Amino acid sequence: MTCEPTATADPAWRSYGASRRSTRAVRVRVSVALVAAIVLAVLLVPPLVHLDQQAVDLSSKLLPPSWSHPFGTDDLGRDLLLRCVYGMRVSLLVGVAAALTATVIGTAVGAIAGALGGWADRGLMRVVDTFSSVPHLLLGIFLVAMFRPGVWPVVVSVALTHWLSTARIVRAEVLSLRARPYIDAAVSGGASRWRVAVRHLLPAVLPQAALAAVLMVPHAMWHESALSFLGLGLPTHMASLGNLIQGARGSLLAGQWWPTLFPGLFIVIPTLAIAGLAGAWRERINPRRRSELML
Amino acid sequence: MLELHDITAGYGRGAPVVRNATLALAPGESVGLLGPSGCGKSTLARVAALLHRPEAGTVTLDGDPVRGWRYRAPRTQRTAIGVVFQQPRLSCDPRLRLTDLIAEPLRATGRRDEIPECLAELAPAVGLTPDLMDRRPHEVSDGQLQRACLARALVLRPRWLICDEMTAMLDASTAAALVAAVEEYRAATGAGLLAVGHDQVLLDRWCDRTVHWKKLTAAVHE
Amino acid sequence: MTARTPVLSVRGLSVRFLMPGGRRIAAVTDAHFDVAAGECLALIGESGCGKSVLASALLGLLPANAQAAGQARLGDLDLLAADERTLARTVRGRLIGLIPQSPAAHLTPVRTVRSQLEETVSALTGVRGRAAVRSAAEAAAERAAFPAGHLDRHPHELSGGLAQRAATALALVGDAPLLLADEPTTGLDRDLVDHTVDELRRHADTGHRGLLVITHDLAAAERIADRVAVMYAGRIVELVEAKAFFDAPGPRHPYSRGLLQALPHRAFTPIPGMPPELGNLPDGCAFAPRCERATHACTALPQQADGIACHHPHVPEDLRA
Repeated sequence: MTCEPTATADPAWRSYGASRRSTRAVRVRVSVALVAAIVLAVLLVPPLVHLDQQAVDLSSKLLPPSWSHPFGTDDLGRDLLLRCVYGMRVSLLVGVAAALTATVIGTAVGAIAGALGGWADRGLMRVVDTFSSVPHLLLGIFLVAMFRPGVWPVVVSVALTHWLSTARIVRAEVLSLRARPYIDAAVSGGASRWRVAVRHLLPAVLPQAALAAVLMVPHAMWHESALSFLGLGLPTHMASLGNLIQGARGSLLAGQWWPTLFPGLFIVIPTLAIAGLAGAWRERINPRRRSELML
Repeated sequence: MLELHDITAGYGRGAPVVRNATLALAPGESVGLLGPSGCGKSTLARVAALLHRPEAGTVTLDGDPVRGWRYRAPRTQRTAIGVVFQQPRLSCDPRLRLTDLIAEPLRATGRRDEIPECLAELAPAVGLTPDLMDRRPHEVSDGQLQRACLARALVLRPRWLICDEMTAMLDASTAAALVAAVEEYRAATGAGLLAVGHDQVLLDRWCDRTVHWKKLTAAVHE
Repeated sequence: MTARTPVLSVRGLSVRFLMPGGRRIAAVTDAHFDVAAGECLALIGESGCGKSVLASALLGLLPANAQAAGQARLGDLDLLAADERTLARTVRGRLIGLIPQSPAAHLTPVRTVRSQLEETVSALTGVRGRAAVRSAAEAAAERAAFPAGHLDRHPHELSGGLAQRAATALALVGDAPLLLADEPTTGLDRDLVDHTVDELRRHADTGHRGLLVITHDLAAAERIADRVAVMYAGRIVELVEAKAFFDAPGPRHPYSRGLLQALPHRAFTPIPGMPPELGNLPDGCAFAPRCERATHACTALPQQADGIACHHPHVPEDLRA
């Protein structure tokens, strides 16, 4: 029989999953630091630093990276670090605006289709299918081509081609939620269709939709760059990242790598950082992890 | 009276899970519905709670025929029946604190001002302590959550209660406590009860009479 | 007291969770028990008393915010000190066969029972070659009384009882010395409960396997167990022969007694009050606030002696010396 005296001293505790947790924490911290740095740079540099990113200085054109120009200069002698920060500002604006618009459209369509079901669902989902059947870069090019180059046509083009996946995700989520007993309980408690949608369904899908929105920001930035690179996006005088890379094509062939590399890194690094953050967030909203107590 | 007459119900294509079931509950009566799992008794309970529209048959609630189910049922009919489900985790919106969970039906029916009074009365009746009321579902145990689910079902003071395997996931003491809370409410209000389950000992002990699922569906053909 | 060598020997097992804000939740405190070969120990208690946390600790499946202390020896191995690699390669499946709570969710829905059994055979045993694996899988199915004619079905084509047997067959493949069944009867009918429990019992009766059943279902525990461990607020408060517990002389701890009296075929009266918070346990006996026998002595923690941790246990006349 087991009748040893009860241990009174504090026992030796052992932890689990510590290494996994610490690498994850490092990844999250690096991602947070990068995103914060980018956002701060984009917000603070233009008002605080009184340098003209458009200042042409032909005497110092295409200088390689140095202390006075950390990213080097472009073919008109403009400082590339400054141009990258301004380019990031434009690209981020386009990315955030497009991602938000796309998410709002997608969430609305998905939630309505899922919550109403029947004809509304079938009709809306056919619209989604129709949009998805066209390659979205092609559709995006078609949309921007209808307008004069500018920020808003690019936003509209990216938004209108990217709400589809959000709509599908939100609809699937709403459909699965609709069958839960807690919705039954709400109906039995006298809740109206509208109240169930607003009080129970929408709050449940918002974290998913917000996650989709965050992941879409870098995606939208890539699209802006792609459109600008093709000469269809932003007007060439605006220093967007896509325009910077597009403008550097000539010098790359001549062996000057820095006007291409640094704007390129400015696209890749935020993408990785946001993906890292979104991964951590996804784990947070995963309901299985919520109940850490296993009660 | 809560009368289910010749109910056939199912989920879309395929054979219906309930065929020609008939059951009547007198006012204030408690009836146990006994059947093996997967036999369709939960579906019949959902029909009786006006949560699932049957393919055929009629439901009469206190003399009025039921013409719509779910959102189409008039609110007075829907809220005359309180429901408790088997799995408390799935029956609760994970974002709501226990207080809000229990008060939700009062909010949904525009009776906000009664919330403090109702909660003060109901929480002790189902055995919930004040410190639990501020928690969210993942911070309490199954038993505590099921107590909240019972309180939510009672908050609109329904004339009928439907308990679908209410105690199947719970330990003996919590099960006995919940049954006692239901019986206390019924003694005070005269509400009727349909208790669905697979445990004959429990239903025989709890209810005025126990009906076997097989007899329920066969009665029509006699 | 048992002459048989223990398969599993748990000494001073404690698990706590570190919560945000420095809160500590003592889910399991100082558990001591053995499971011998050929024996079935039922760990009973209400939901949230820490019994599934104990099972997770044995399998090394605690979440990252958990800490454990003590020992859980399975042969030469201390399960609590083993690293994830050892747990994955030698413990789960090979040393501990897990019989899950809901077999239907445990089986892969898109593959037949046969293919899942064969995969498990190849992964856990040294059997090689298609024909050999096939017959080993069929043998495993037979041991769990899973009918050979149903082997090529998918999980959704099986009844609840057959799904349970399929999951049991998977747990038996590795021929583990310890079977761990976590709430194996939740949501099953009485008939199916009896059936499931009898089949589990058979696997212990072969004599070289220990069976640890975690359940809140007292009827199932009565049917299957040789010994019963009652858990309350994270501690094992009573550990006793099942016959003495369910029949005469009955449980001695007031909590166990209350639990039995709550059954519908007994008094059907609940124990007053609710269990304490695992994050805020009293210094003394955790059951004292709900206990009619509690006195001033209960403000001190009762030591476990002779299988019971209580200052005022019931002492039936026939047990008195």
